[in-house]
Amino acid sequence: MDDRRRRFEAQALPHLDAAYNLARWLSRSPADADDIVQDAMLRAFRAFDGFRGGDVRAWLLTIVRNCWLSAGRAKQRRGHTVLEDSIVDAGPDPEETAIQTGHARRLEAMIARLPDDFREVLILRELQDLSYREIAEITGAPIGTVMSRLARARTMLREFVKEGA
Amino acid sequence: MSPDHFADHLLNTQSYLDGELTGAEAAEAERHLQTCAECQAFAATAADVSDALRKAPRYTAPAPLRAAVLARLDKEPVRFSPRSFWLGAAGGAGASALAAGFTLMLMLPPSIATLTQSVADAHARALTSGHAIMVASSNHHTVKPWLAAHAGLSPPVTDFADAGFTLTGGRLDEVAGRTAAVITYAHGNHEVDLFAWPDRGAGLPESGMALGFRTAFWKSGDMDFAAVSDMDQAAFRKFVMLARSQRE
Repeated sequence: MDDRRRRFEAQALPHLDAAYNLARWLSRSPADADDIVQDAMLRAFRAFDGFRGGDVRAWLLTIVRNCWLSAGRAKQRRGHTVLEDSIVDAGPDPEETAIQTGHARRLEAMIARLPDDFREVLILRELQDLSYREIAEITGAPIGTVMSRLARARTMLREFVKEGA
Repeated sequence: MSPDHFADHLLNTQSYLDGELTGAEAAEAERHLQTCAECQAFAATAADVSDALRKAPRYTAPAPLRAAVLARLDKEPVRFSPRSFWLGAAGGAGASALAAGFTLMLMLPPSIATLTQSVADAHARALTSGHAIMVASSNHHTVKPWLAAHAGLSPPVTDFADAGFTLTGGRLDEVAGRTAAVITYAHGNHEVDLFAWPDRGAGLPESGMALGFRTAFWKSGDMDFAAVSDMDQAAFRKFVMLARSQRE
């Protein structure tokens, strides 16, 4: 095993769960999350020499987010409607049906209703526990924008929860 | 509270709730929260949302995915590092020869080895930075003038969607320290970058691989071109053939 592979396994691979969690929440589909993460890990590995230190997790999540965006663009080009297939196809995945209680499923559908820009900051903050600075780095948005999107996402989601209750 | 605009004091309260403030700032935000009804209502909203999300699943990578990732890494070629090669090659040379070599390298146009590495670097950087596309359009009438205005270069821009390579846009980049126009394409889940810069009479490298990407170089008119992608060889050749055959 060469040195790069060893460093990659030691530094980046421990964040595979974080990468999958983000991909899973952004794409709302286990199959898409699989593809996105494989794609992201491969790109991260190829670009690993160019990684100049710093926060590996934030760097990796940035790549995951970009892979999710390009997967979305590829789907649109093929004429898929991303929103529909993911909500309908919350899917008979045996591993998931156990975890996916009615509550989680409803919550996921509500989060899915948020516009992408708002949804991703909410996921990064609430489900990945990232700081504003890290979220700004990952999404490429200024911190002020992250803050207002987050506030907007929370207000919207609260409305959805109220409606659904 | 208007739905799209949040006053600064609300955002500041949110920062406090998210643990982004410390010391005097946190104390000040805490005091404000005790007296501001609007911020208290927002704090309740944020708490409700956090509560709901606390029960949401944190997904972990399934074992087959982990195995698949490792299997794909196994297939990656062990990388040849040009930098260590040159350092190794220069290691035995005398100091004066070394100095002369560096001077020569500085005077020459980007060397052949540098170019392959440089376009692959630019491609990898673009893929991971999220700035692979600065002007997103599948319309060459949009991409071409954008490149002309921003890069001062006017390479031909053709959409090869019929052949499986969809024009996705363009960007400005730097190759071996010089400005290059980049036309971006998508082929399935693969991205292809077509670089163009003015021909300065320098030689171009052979087609090859760098950083795991395929590279190809050619001259056409008064420009140098380079294609970079992680597509398979057959698709890459097809793209290069299409790109080489386009005319102004």
